[in-house]
Amino acid sequence: MAAAEKRLIKEKTERRDWYKLDLSAIVYPTLQRRDFSSVYRLSVVLKEEIQPRVLQKAVDMAMPRFPTYKAAIRKGLFWRYLEPNNRPGPFVQTDVKNPCQPMHFKANNRYLIRFYYYRNRISLEAHHSLGDGTGGMCVLLTVTAVYLRLLGHTEVENDGFVLDIEEIPHKEELEDAYMRYANAKVCPPRLGEKAYRVRGTKEPFYTLNIIAGIMSTSQVLSVAKRYHATITEYLNAVLLYALMMKQEEDWHFRLRPVKIAMPVNLRRFFPSKTLRNFITMIYPGVDPRLGEYTFEEIVEEVHNYMRLYVNEKHLRGDITTNAATQRNPLIRVVPLFIKDFVVRQFYTKVQDKNSSAGLTNMGALKVPESMKPYIERCDIYMGQPFSTRTNCAIISYEDTLTINFASSIIEADVERNFFRKLVQDGIHVKIESNREMTAE
Amino acid sequence: MRGNMSYCVNCGVELSSSAKECPLCNTPVINPRDLAVGKGEPPFPREKGQVETVKRKDLGLLVSAVVLATAVTCGLLNVLVFNTTAWSLAVIGVCVILWVMLVPVVIYTRQSVYVSILFDGVAIAIYLYMLAYMVHNDSWFWGLGLPIVLLIVALAEIFTICVRRLPKSFLTIALYVFTAIGIGCVGLEILIDLYVLGSIAILWSAVVMTVCVIVDITIITVLSRRRLRNAVRRRLHF
Repeated sequence: MAAAEKRLIKEKTERRDWYKLDLSAIVYPTLQRRDFSSVYRLSVVLKEEIQPRVLQKAVDMAMPRFPTYKAAIRKGLFWRYLEPNNRPGPFVQTDVKNPCQPMHFKANNRYLIRFYYYRNRISLEAHHSLGDGTGGMCVLLTVTAVYLRLLGHTEVENDGFVLDIEEIPHKEELEDAYMRYANAKVCPPRLGEKAYRVRGTKEPFYTLNIIAGIMSTSQVLSVAKRYHATITEYLNAVLLYALMMKQEEDWHFRLRPVKIAMPVNLRRFFPSKTLRNFITMIYPGVDPRLGEYTFEEIVEEVHNYMRLYVNEKHLRGDITTNAATQRNPLIRVVPLFIKDFVVRQFYTKVQDKNSSAGLTNMGALKVPESMKPYIERCDIYMGQPFSTRTNCAIISYEDTLTINFASSIIEADVERNFFRKLVQDGIHVKIESNREMTAE
Repeated sequence: MRGNMSYCVNCGVELSSSAKECPLCNTPVINPRDLAVGKGEPPFPREKGQVETVKRKDLGLLVSAVVLATAVTCGLLNVLVFNTTAWSLAVIGVCVILWVMLVPVVIYTRQSVYVSILFDGVAIAIYLYMLAYMVHNDSWFWGLGLPIVLLIVALAEIFTICVRRLPKSFLTIALYVFTAIGIGCVGLEILIDLYVLGSIAILWSAVVMTVCVIVDITIITVLSRRRLRNAVRRRLHF
């Protein structure tokens, strides 16, 4: 007893009062505009109507377990950093039609996280500088588990994404895992070429158009198997196909390669329990200038690309290259506002033009067995795209696979091509949307 | 008939019971047997959210406190120590102007920009009157000070209306700026002439106006050519 108490006191005194931003998190705040923040959204749909008061209690109970999410972002002279936030909040709110709204760092009691409820859905929105989808999912499912327990379902246990809220946060959960694994002996160069860009009519300020497709995981899996591919590869290929069709249909001066920016969860390759960002981008794509691709050829191209690049060696090289810039002492001493300017220029002029759309697949959601009876399905949204394009996010729970498109343009051509291809391949798709189109 | 499953005839996807149109291709959902489509609960809320505003209460408090402290201490200094003239009124006036200008920035951010400009003008006019009152000669205030303030406030208001209401681009803003400078200079010279000479004899402002008009004509030409170019582009596939 005394030993445990001592350890507790020691841990408490060791508790840090600030955190460096991780390697990816450095980029997101620099892209902040009046009408744009890198915010993503995760939701879990339960089988009963949400009780907001109980949910607020669950949030209050669970948040101290996640010090890097109960945080505020602040500016230093050279870098930004996270600081524990003890202001009241985050408060549970009724959901809105236009999710993933810009998040100003000084608003909302400086919280970079929002909780919403709508009918039987709990949603979490988090700024990407706090952590990636895996970290956010841990927060959301832990809150959901606490919520269910408060409702009397005491059998819900801690496992997988559900963390024990009595526990003190592990050091590993708060680490910048990039730095631990960015140790390749060489920095492979970043290859990049301007990709095709979807042109569209911008929606007015703060509108986010969502089109969600709900389907059966096993059905998608069997179709993917027919093409000798995994679900991710197959859906990637369908998105490439949709984008290629859009490029051909639209007026174009010249063809450009069609590429997808896809985050890879590095925890699969480098063991880490971190709840912060630990992803890197890969760019599967096809080049229509080489000739016409059939759909089968696209699947094969994506399949081979994944085999080549998604492995521990190539990914290690990639994160070493990314870390090299941050480690460079000459770059480190440059004041923050100059860094911001350079990073923003690099992102808008190079990085953002490198891909035609974004796609992320969180894969199958791991939920403790005892929690399964209460969960209907899960959703994930990549949030507002930086430029005029559409982002696609995929998650599956049991036999429900949800594909969510988020865009801030009026046209839904890519989405239409995408879902029509799925229907053509024999998949039953149900569409839900927040778009309201008035007949003209 | 609630349990009906509607499908888009174009895309072949199932739609939610609240959908009136297919979100993918805009095709209306019509069931000849049940014309009351779109009655179900929508999958997404209908209310739009607003972005949280940044509260700058602390900064507002700080600014107000500093300005107030300056005004009060100067006033006390004037009354108790250097009490030969009412010099502190000048300082207090500057404090008031500063505070009025900072209100829309740090305290009441939702204040309309037109009202802000008007208030700024009023604050400056009051300050000028105070100066006139201090030197016991207010003829320059009525003859020159107030008209100039009115002229500048009017120009600022019109400029703001143009920037906010009319199409905004780098070129149009340049157009407004040069026009405002031209009109402002001519107005200024007229007011000065009327006060000093009693009659209007435009000299230097004519040169400024000429330059501004030349720049304006250039900008207007470019703007109109751009429109022309846009029209051509529209017809050539966009």
